[in-house]
Amino acid sequence: MKFYKDHYDVIVIGGALAGLSSALMLADKGKDVLVLERHNLPGGIATSFVRGGIEIEAALHEMMSIGSKDNRLKVGKFFDDMGVDIDWLKVPEAYHASFPGVEVTLHPGLERFAKEIDEVVPGTYDKVLRLLNLCNTVFDSVNELSIHPMSKAKMLIKHEAFVKTAGYTTAEVMDTFDLPQKAKDLLAPYWIYVGSGFSELPFTIYSVLMADYVGYGSYIPLKFSHEMSLKMAERAEAMGVQIEYRQQVDKILVKDGRAYGVRTARGDEIHADYVISSAYPNKVYTSMIEPASEVPEKALRMVNGRRLSLTAFSVIMILDRPAQELNIRDYSIFRGDTMDTDAHYENLAGLGPYKYLTCICHNYGNPGCTPEGTCSFSVTVLPRVDGWKTVKAEDYDEVKHRVAKQLIDDMSAYFGTNLLDHVLEVVIETPMTVNRYTNAWNGCIYGYAHTMEDHIIARLQTAEAERFIRHLEFSGAHAISGDGMGPQVTNGRKAAKNVLDTMAEEAAK
Amino acid sequence: MKIKGFLKDVTGASRVTKARLAAFENASPVPEKNDPIADVVREWHPGKLDLVVTEVRDACRTAKTVRFERADGKKLPFFYAGQYMVLDFEIGESVISRPYSISSAPYQAREGRGFVEITVRRSKGDGFIADFINDSVKVGDRFRGLIGCGQFYWESLRDAGHVVALAGGVGITPFASMAKEVADGKLPIDLTILYGSVSSDDIVMKQELDAIKSDRVHIVHVLSGDEPGWQGERGFITADIIRKYSAPDTTYMICGPQAMYRFMREELKKLDAPARRIRFEVFGQAKDITSFPGYPKELADKTFNLTVRRGIHEDVIQAKATESLVVALERAGIRIETGCRSGECGFCRTKVVSGSVYVCPENDGRRAADRDFGYVHACAAYPTSDLTIKIPIE
Repeated sequence: MKFYKDHYDVIVIGGALAGLSSALMLADKGKDVLVLERHNLPGGIATSFVRGGIEIEAALHEMMSIGSKDNRLKVGKFFDDMGVDIDWLKVPEAYHASFPGVEVTLHPGLERFAKEIDEVVPGTYDKVLRLLNLCNTVFDSVNELSIHPMSKAKMLIKHEAFVKTAGYTTAEVMDTFDLPQKAKDLLAPYWIYVGSGFSELPFTIYSVLMADYVGYGSYIPLKFSHEMSLKMAERAEAMGVQIEYRQQVDKILVKDGRAYGVRTARGDEIHADYVISSAYPNKVYTSMIEPASEVPEKALRMVNGRRLSLTAFSVIMILDRPAQELNIRDYSIFRGDTMDTDAHYENLAGLGPYKYLTCICHNYGNPGCTPEGTCSFSVTVLPRVDGWKTVKAEDYDEVKHRVAKQLIDDMSAYFGTNLLDHVLEVVIETPMTVNRYTNAWNGCIYGYAHTMEDHIIARLQTAEAERFIRHLEFSGAHAISGDGMGPQVTNGRKAAKNVLDTMAEEAAK
Repeated sequence: MKIKGFLKDVTGASRVTKARLAAFENASPVPEKNDPIADVVREWHPGKLDLVVTEVRDACRTAKTVRFERADGKKLPFFYAGQYMVLDFEIGESVISRPYSISSAPYQAREGRGFVEITVRRSKGDGFIADFINDSVKVGDRFRGLIGCGQFYWESLRDAGHVVALAGGVGITPFASMAKEVADGKLPIDLTILYGSVSSDDIVMKQELDAIKSDRVHIVHVLSGDEPGWQGERGFITADIIRKYSAPDTTYMICGPQAMYRFMREELKKLDAPARRIRFEVFGQAKDITSFPGYPKELADKTFNLTVRRGIHEDVIQAKATESLVVALERAGIRIETGCRSGECGFCRTKVVSGSVYVCPENDGRRAADRDFGYVHACAAYPTSDLTIKIPIE
């Protein structure tokens, strides 16, 4: 029986957001694409599951880069352009910040956000707004330069703020604004979405984070992230892409420094001109390239020289009361014993007790998402893989329950309601869960850490030299734009663009 | 603008690029293949395993217990007491799978050579696999099996420490696993099993259950048949009997035949227990799909053409209106991954490309967006026209 064509233009390994974005863009340009996904549904962790008849979001807190219908940002625009029509719901707030001495809910819009901080820390409005405007300027530059690269000299004139902040950490730039600690703390909570403490996090990344989330607000799909993943997959298939589920790729076939196909766990050898891998470079260069002799030493040095960023631990509950009756009053709560991001980053290296918790009550963004009289509530920490790498199989269940209970107990104390008395359904997601369903390297969902040694600007500068095997591209959280569901669309498009550019160059020769 | 000084400010980009290249130059070129997270996953969820039968014994007059060990000698995976395993049977041209609750305890899978057991009652004509297990399976036979599936287990973050299990017939199996785990000190609950059978020689696993000695496990037999001399509870498991064995905070777990589920739902309503305290095992493949609301009875004797796409390959097979898509595929020898066969687990998620199906309302565990795009769980979907589906290549 013949399940595959003799040849494809491009094989995409992994049918999550990055892989599907690559497939959409390539299909849009008339390319013949095969997507191989190991699970039996698209999306990777951008998915949902059903427990006790109730559909539950698996991972999405809020999507960045969508924008409103008449003012789309790049990801929202891409979906529109591709005909992926998602029912977006606007998240009603930025976040509720909770740390010693502060309980406040902040809302999107740079001015409103600054004003709300000013109400907590009077006299900071101008400085905070100036900082947010700086973020916005850098953000605009990043977006423009990603489409229209230019010379350094010209860049210094046209994108001065971008150039002059590029070499600094978030802490270094923020310090120049001379803000009271409490105001700085109120500007910190989103750090967890990019996963590095401010002494390491490039200001460029912080700028994009704040300008996008605070400036434009965030969105969620009506029918959970599975709606987004499925609509991307359905649209891709309608555009001629072949998607095959339950097909794990074990090997990427390479000859004379050039990829020419894959072999699946089932044993199918499938040929293509190009391969786009959502599998981590660590996995690809250490065990997927066939023959292994095709792996250049430089590739191994590169993966060994990078630090994995964060993974995820979530306890997701359906509670048998409406949220308000349980004193849950916000869509999103960031709660910490401090807002010292570097201290949190240290804390995340262990196995708890974790000190920085991220909570989502989807009902506030999507009121009909659970049955009448119930609500959905999740507590998430995004640990580094280090601690979880020490967990043995025989201890795994005990550790995951201990951590889950700590998170629930901490939030119960905060709400003054014992959430454990209201659990209708509970699901614990761990780094192991991520690995089980997506095969992500070490269960890491964030790719590589954003640091000054692995800066996004440096990634862009050296990207060409790091295409070690011709006709093999990477897309996923491990690619240039890093973690986050929005950035996966950008990562996927970048990989597709590399393929299209190479096709054009080779055709011209 | 100025951060630290003109020269330092304008050279940032080249500084970070140099830093990155230096980090790589100083890094080791030795491949680092370790993924300890994936190692744990392999011990919990290794996927389908080759299993060998090492013992077959009577569990009562009408049921057998089959013990499996791992064929490659490695350790069996962890699982929770109450979960099921999926077994593949190759019979003639067909590859058929079935879920069976594991009747042995999780600790028994991990100690020594390690084993898992299932206990299967001979059917009364509607389950040829059940009869096959009772009549034909013998020591040394090999099967493929997926161990540790389903959501029917005690969860410390959700369930009460006092559990009343309501078992009907061979529905005792998940509770047998739990009882053994409790007796071994591995599951910290008080477990009372109200176990309904027709007659005393019909009680599945009676000897094994009676041998469990633990002050945290209580087994109460309830006989519905008219048996002279029986000293225990009689009749059906009613709200009155359940109340007698309940603590103020009790989780009720129910496993048994489909008729019992309908009865139990009514009885449990009389107890005023909150919804979160009542947990049913999955319903199983519907016994008579034409009896469900909305089923188009006028089509019941029809057979349809079912076009099956796998990759670019297409087959056309026959599908009866009263049999699920999964059964039609299995009958035709086309492999499809299944788990619970109750519409819950989603293993058999299938796209209906064209044509129509009836989905069993008791077993509709689909995601909302999947419904919008014509996805079904093929074990719970019945053809109501000629149709085309797409399934994964196995």
